[in-house]
Amino acid sequence: MANSRNARARILVAAIALAALVALALFWRGSGVEGESVVVYVSHDQVFSEPILKDFERDTGIRVRALYDTEEAKSAGLMNRLLAEKDHPQADVYWANEPIRADVLRQRGVSAPYRSASAAGIDAQFRDPNDHWTGFSARARMLIFDPRLEHKPASIRAYADRQFRAMAVIANPLFGTTTAHIAALFTVWGDTQAKAFLQSMRENGVRIVSSNGDSADQVAKGAARFALVDSDDVYSRKQQGQPIEGAYPDQEPGGVGCFIVPNAVVLIRSAPHEGPGRKLIDYLLSPETEKKLAFSDAAQIPLHSGVETPASVPRLDELHVMTVDYGAVAAKMQQIQPWLSDWAGH
Amino acid sequence: MLSKSTLVDGSPTLSVYGKLFADPMRYLDSVGHTFVLAGLTALLALGLGAALGMLLGKTDLPLRRVFAVLLCVPLFMPPYILAVSWTDLLAKNGALSALLPGRTLTALSQRFEGLAGCVWVLTSALMPLVMIVTMVSLSALNPRLEEAARLIASWPRTLRHVTLPLAEPAILFAALIVFLLAVGEVAVPMLLHYPVYPVRTLVQFAAFYDFGAAAASAVPLLLLAVLLVSLEQRYLRDRAHRLLATTAGRRALRVPLRGWRTPAALVVGAMASAFVLLPLATLVHTSLDSFGYVHAWRATADSLIRSVVYAGAGATVLTALGFLFGYVIQRQAARWWRALDMLTLLLFTVPGTVAGVGLIALWNRPATGWLYASSAMIILAYIGQYSALTTRISAAALANVSATLEDAARVSGAPWLARLRLVIVPAALPGLVIAWIVAFIFCLRDVGASMLVHSPGADPLAVRILTLMANGSPSMISAACVILIAIDLVMLLALAAALRMLARNR
Repeated sequence: MANSRNARARILVAAIALAALVALALFWRGSGVEGESVVVYVSHDQVFSEPILKDFERDTGIRVRALYDTEEAKSAGLMNRLLAEKDHPQADVYWANEPIRADVLRQRGVSAPYRSASAAGIDAQFRDPNDHWTGFSARARMLIFDPRLEHKPASIRAYADRQFRAMAVIANPLFGTTTAHIAALFTVWGDTQAKAFLQSMRENGVRIVSSNGDSADQVAKGAARFALVDSDDVYSRKQQGQPIEGAYPDQEPGGVGCFIVPNAVVLIRSAPHEGPGRKLIDYLLSPETEKKLAFSDAAQIPLHSGVETPASVPRLDELHVMTVDYGAVAAKMQQIQPWLSDWAGH
Repeated sequence: MLSKSTLVDGSPTLSVYGKLFADPMRYLDSVGHTFVLAGLTALLALGLGAALGMLLGKTDLPLRRVFAVLLCVPLFMPPYILAVSWTDLLAKNGALSALLPGRTLTALSQRFEGLAGCVWVLTSALMPLVMIVTMVSLSALNPRLEEAARLIASWPRTLRHVTLPLAEPAILFAALIVFLLAVGEVAVPMLLHYPVYPVRTLVQFAAFYDFGAAAASAVPLLLLAVLLVSLEQRYLRDRAHRLLATTAGRRALRVPLRGWRTPAALVVGAMASAFVLLPLATLVHTSLDSFGYVHAWRATADSLIRSVVYAGAGATVLTALGFLFGYVIQRQAARWWRALDMLTLLLFTVPGTVAGVGLIALWNRPATGWLYASSAMIILAYIGQYSALTTRISAAALANVSATLEDAARVSGAPWLARLRLVIVPAALPGLVIAWIVAFIFCLRDVGASMLVHSPGADPLAVRILTLMANGSPSMISAACVILIAIDLVMLLALAAALRMLARNR
């Protein structure tokens, strides 16, 4: 009897100790480095952005708590979290992987203006006029294709070209950078021409897949012959030795040019740690960060002039770039979403 | 979330629903696709899962324990990852390209896109649930009933007229759960390019950032769940037989397969190869390139440890709550037992993104900010999403505990807590252990709501794998998936050993 009572007492003590440990694990915020901390929500791929954030931690001593988006969520996760947290923000900074959604945050009153000294030298085209977001380290929209193709696609108009019938895929135009690119075409070509082009794509047998990554993988696996993706999708697959090639579209004189998608950094309105948030923004916008991202597997194009880049990464002035107003693109994106939803079959 | 769909600028209105469903015919295709996908998945999962559960739980099939563990592996991963493994396997330069002619591979790959691939992936991912429930139900049956039947009938007739009817309610409920999970699945149909209705909820979030419309678009799924649960309560619940109480010390009877042992083992082995070994081999093969495990460990070690804590804590809380809810439902201990049952199943049906945004709206306030900023939010997300599973498993376990035992304890003067602790919990313990295992598996692989509510820097492993999938090296991602599977396997084997020890001591 006494033995069983002792055994029960021991089990009870062990259970209470375990419960306390679990509660500690769940509720402990962690002290880490004493002092400042900053919370950043990151839509840029974690494999590329995390090293930059770790360098910031090391260089400044400010602890970074980061939240990343998933390929599966198509940036729905973080944007919706920021919007849902608007009245009591938890994030200090949002690192967007394109400026269009950063502008949506401005429109919804989630962002605060901040002109960083590091933004000096970044062209006004890549900044919000009221400093609600600032662009840096850009990707270019590229054509990824099967190197065995007899005629290589050189323009986005290849999607509507009969010689490439049923060969192409495109990421769902309701999500990610594809939305921004299509919205940009609407601003540059006008609604009529842009809609006609998209209809031609459909008639030419384009398949819609879930994401840029999926598009690139379809080409790499041989399930499609070409696709429009981001430059980091092309570069990372080349680094992995996958059988693909890439080309910047529409580079001929008079061509529409390739669409540049800069990252964009946003200070969140009423951020809990505004000071460290500003320091993080200054760090991200610096030429040093742009150089790191250029030399990383992200292969991103610096927006500051004079930043050293590897041979595989072109400078901005070496490309024929589509000239757009990103604010107008953001507005157009929201205007055409219902039409795009029908076009995509949703 | 529902209030967001019925309030515009503070005024109640149904305009969101009016706008969204103005032209219901435009949804006909996607709704039809959803029903076809969910129906086929549930039917196949039911047929295969019940058959496998019977073979593994009721016969003397050789290697049945190995097969049981192996066939559970797809349940350990988010179905999206399983789908990606299969597309890699069937690619022109995938692992099967060395074994199959190019034309055959291309034909298979093309057929895999769309309904066939979705059904294959979801069936392999969810069939283990039906299999586990079947095995548990069969092991809990009173062997005296079968012994009595065996005096006058053969095994096939005994199984058909005694065993299966007794286990049927639980097995059909498991099929209902599979149906609801398949109805709400978005990531796999999107990857395999099969348009289904729940994508609309995702579109409202991801393209329009319209929470009200997203919640409104989820309402048809909730209404469907209400209908199915009402039917289940009406037609299946009352068939829970009171004669199910087991006698301590009596083991479940096993059907001797005799000459069918080897052919049956080969068939089950072929199924295990098709559903499990092929995609698992792809993952393992890819993970062995380029220091995959080293990179995976560096990239995921912190979230791995966190995930085990989250899943363990979540499973424990879910099992405790599930036991209490299951008690109320099974014993009809309160007038609102039906409403409780319905509520847990409705929460189960709510899409993870809707649940996550709802949790943010509820808890991200000044008074509860301390809770919102902690990892306890993930446990709340688990409770919302998975309490239906542990509730029903506990209710099934409690159905096998004779009410007369509890009555005898009450008559002896034991208070309710003492009756729970000394009579009911010990008798229902094997079922509660199963509930814990199932909850642990689902918590560990969860992505939906936990993606939206985990605190910065505290992501669970399944979410970390999905974030790294964006341009992460295939070997690292595959290695991280193998690690996720390994954790579940270790936990499953440990708890299976605990169950055997419990059975020996009873």
